[in-house]
Amino acid sequence: MAAYMLCRRTAMFCWAIRGLSSIKSYIPVSAQCGLLQQIAHYNPKPLKLNLKNPYIPDKDSENTPEWQKTAKYDRKLFGRYGFSSGVNPAELWPSHAQLEEMIAEEREWNPPLEVLLKNVEAKEMEANAKRLGREKLIAGNMAKMPKMVADWRREKREAKLKLKEEKARRDRLLAEARERFGYALDPRSPKFLEMVSDIEKEEKKKKNDAKTKQTEDHFPTIYF
Amino acid sequence: MSFTKKPGGKALDLLQHLPRITLGNLRPEPGTRKPEKRRGRGQHGGNRSGRGHKGERQRGNRPRLGFEGGQTPFYLAIPKYGYNEGHSRRPQYQPLTLRRLQYLIDLGRLDPTQPIDLTQMVNGRGVTIQPLKRDYGVQLVEEGAGVFAAKVNIEVQMASEAAIAAIERNGGIVTTGFYDPRSLAILCKPVPFFISGQPIPKRMFPGEDMVRYYTDAANRGYLADPGKIQKARVALAQKYGYVLPDISKDELFHMLSMRKDPRQIFFGLLPGWVVNMPEKKILKPTDEKLLQYYST
Repeated sequence: MAAYMLCRRTAMFCWAIRGLSSIKSYIPVSAQCGLLQQIAHYNPKPLKLNLKNPYIPDKDSENTPEWQKTAKYDRKLFGRYGFSSGVNPAELWPSHAQLEEMIAEEREWNPPLEVLLKNVEAKEMEANAKRLGREKLIAGNMAKMPKMVADWRREKREAKLKLKEEKARRDRLLAEARERFGYALDPRSPKFLEMVSDIEKEEKKKKNDAKTKQTEDHFPTIYF
Repeated sequence: MSFTKKPGGKALDLLQHLPRITLGNLRPEPGTRKPEKRRGRGQHGGNRSGRGHKGERQRGNRPRLGFEGGQTPFYLAIPKYGYNEGHSRRPQYQPLTLRRLQYLIDLGRLDPTQPIDLTQMVNGRGVTIQPLKRDYGVQLVEEGAGVFAAKVNIEVQMASEAAIAAIERNGGIVTTGFYDPRSLAILCKPVPFFISGQPIPKRMFPGEDMVRYYTDAANRGYLADPGKIQKARVALAQKYGYVLPDISKDELFHMLSMRKDPRQIFFGLLPGWVVNMPEKKILKPTDEKLLQYYST
């Protein structure tokens, strides 16, 4: 049974390990090769093809069911009974129309090997490109990180300082107000705001005077 | 007169003089048949027959497996995750250990002097393949690599690296080939297919997910470059530390180098042929379009 298919003289595709191109050759009847191998040539189940009284349906009669007049059933008849079934062997293969359909279907669902490999490669390239792009982005961002961290820390520090400054200024103003008016004044009241604006004006005046003094020192006014 | 020794000797003598063997004369080897244990019988095991005292236990009315008395059972409390999603659509490959392969060869169910194919394995009842249950073939597994000592030309659908090494170490050849489900069914049961009277179809190529596996020389794929396969054989021998035997000097070199065409299902039969079982004839098409279709 094991040597069933190869005991016949049939053409085979040989593949050489030494890298030769594939060659067709007829192999002789399987050699014993001097090996005393016990092969279990068991007897397979008998193939009951019922060749003595076959049932071949009558195509013309109306009583035969429709499914016994189809091409598929004809193929099965030929497969079971051979040439004596009365089936034209040329009908076993698909007709030209059916063949066109089969070719179209195969082109769509089972493309040839080159197309398949190309698709696979394209997909892989795409996936690779995506991955590389993502990795580059991550690497770029990570390179920026130390600077961003330092900036953020600096900003936090500055904000803190500003807050402190602001608080100190408010405390100073409150103290000033308390000195002037003699009691703890609410910072939201109009008096306090008046005082604050007065202080600001005085400071501005002082600054302007200091500025004009400086410019006079550098460029003294000449009176004609 | 020279005293010639009778072949068979005392055993033959016994056979000739003892009565014939019948069912009444036979007895199993002591120790092979142990009487089965019967629980709940006898003076001490009887009474309640090992069922306990009253309740569901004795009356055989226990709730279903997994029930925890009303508490949300474990198998419902754990949330689902997609581990088993689409499990019934995943391709399955029946494992074939090297140990089983050696066993089959030793018993003579597989013939190492011919290429070993899935058809041969199914004929020798070595593996059982169910093409309709998403089985895509057989995978070679390395268990039994230590006892494997046969020189074979074997074709499987998947093979692990150590299994390939074990076979090549003994001077054999492994090939991994893809069979689409229709081709696999035909390969496993060729005779019912031939009786159906259809022409042998061509084998389809693997899908995009598997084509990389079968074009890889490391897996000995049937679509891989033969030159690369030879290099891979050498590399594997170096990796696993054995001397790669030179197959070209072997007497069975021709058999070992037999390989199927990527579109071929059977050795010696091309796609498009019709095998006629009752008259033992092969019919080949002559139409050009058919020939062109079947030869890709």
